[in-house]
Amino acid sequence: MELKKTHIYEYHAEHGNVVDFGGFAMPVWYDGIQVEHKAVREGCGIFDTSHMGRTWAEGPEAEKFLNYVVTNNVSKLEPYGGLYTVMCKPTGGIVDDLILYKFSTEKYLLVYNASNREKDFKWLKKNSKDFKVKLNDVSDGVGMIAVQGPKAVDVLQKITEENIGEVPRFGIADLTISGYKVLAGRTGYTGEDGFEVFVLDCSLDNPEKALKIWNDLVGAGAVPCGLGARDSTRLEAGLWLYGNDIDESINPLEAGLRWTVKLKKPGYFVGRRAIQSMKDEGVKKTLVGVMMEERGIPRHGYEVMDMEENLIGVVTSGGMSPTLGKGIALAYVPPEFKAKGTELYIKIRNKFVKGKVVKHRPFYDDSVYGWKREKK
Amino acid sequence: MEEGKEMTDEYKVEEGFYYTKEHEWAKVDGGMVLIGIDDYAQGQLHEIVYVELPDMDAEVGQGEALGAVESVKAVSDLYSPVAGKVVEVNESLLDSPEKINNDPYGEGWIVKVEPSSLDADLGNLMDAAAYKEFMATL
Repeated sequence: MELKKTHIYEYHAEHGNVVDFGGFAMPVWYDGIQVEHKAVREGCGIFDTSHMGRTWAEGPEAEKFLNYVVTNNVSKLEPYGGLYTVMCKPTGGIVDDLILYKFSTEKYLLVYNASNREKDFKWLKKNSKDFKVKLNDVSDGVGMIAVQGPKAVDVLQKITEENIGEVPRFGIADLTISGYKVLAGRTGYTGEDGFEVFVLDCSLDNPEKALKIWNDLVGAGAVPCGLGARDSTRLEAGLWLYGNDIDESINPLEAGLRWTVKLKKPGYFVGRRAIQSMKDEGVKKTLVGVMMEERGIPRHGYEVMDMEENLIGVVTSGGMSPTLGKGIALAYVPPEFKAKGTELYIKIRNKFVKGKVVKHRPFYDDSVYGWKREKK
Repeated sequence: MEEGKEMTDEYKVEEGFYYTKEHEWAKVDGGMVLIGIDDYAQGQLHEIVYVELPDMDAEVGQGEALGAVESVKAVSDLYSPVAGKVVEVNESLLDSPEKINNDPYGEGWIVKVEPSSLDADLGNLMDAAAYKEFMATL
């Protein structure tokens, strides 16, 4: 099967190590995961995120529909504000996590995972039947570039007409970048400050606008980053990866996503009853962060043991943290093991390697790294 | 799909070494056997960030697990090209695993084994010429 190409493919093919990522031809790295990771933590990295799903929800009942299909409270959003949320099955299992941006009570932009593009659109469509709302999947007609890092705002400002420093976190703005009208949301998937730029009216056949912005960002000092650094930065930030840390068998209460579920918002939403009953009964497993105390790199699927070497859980995401120089992991364990400082073992090949439960959103010291860092 | 860079880059096959299909190398040196991973394997893994070394005096059979080499993204098990006893491990790799990327046939050696059935084991490995032929078929 031929791989799908994104708007920035021409650049990837020339400069990157391109692989099959869920059917998309995407770069794992250009110069190396570690230098790209460092660029995001210390300077400015850019990621092609054009493979993600983007859908407009428009109509007089757009807000009502979204409040029905997602768990968070959409009514709390102001125009040009963004909201992180999940949407669930009636069982409470997570269909996907997504960001929605509000332009008016009748117009929203939904941004969701590349791997779930078809599934999500079908799910949204199916659940929209009883509402006056029109869904328009524009994933292939909008380029998307994430600009991330402590210098992201400075770098992006160089090629933007408007002053972008005033855009609040999770806010979105109409901007003119490289001379093109775009939307840019102040968010990302790395833990750092930055923007996700939506290059409107940019088809796969005519991707010049997105390519021009990408190349102008490189010219302004941004370091192109591949999927390797995207995964290593999101893991250090403790952010969920759909398909690893969350999926349809996991409930938002188990995943540490309680804060995205507004059980008291007016009206029913899909999954509400199941989530309420799980809340009443209590969860049987919970997502924790683990930092290795001995040498070794935890990986997806590795088993987690208590200090008596009983199997208690499983690693859903793991890797070497370039910033911390240690193995870190997200793992599901029973709630009695969730306290910070709890020691446990991760079975790495045939060895039990010691780790402990730590604060994990983010794993790093957020006064030194990430968007909350103290400005110098 | 267009080929990624790593697929087209040249890799070096060192003369005088023996090779496995899993891209380990073995070099006979004064009755002992040095073991590592080859240039192709290090290039595939790219930035190596961790090496799991075997215990000293561990006995291994040919093709049995000796340890593992890991990059940011991937894990590659290390299988012993020969049977024998581990007599030395390259501990400098714990702090500088990138030596395997920089010098896979030299400073990036991983384990030294005292072989127990060297002649028979070497018969199961490929010399440089045979390995080049094998690689051309991949």
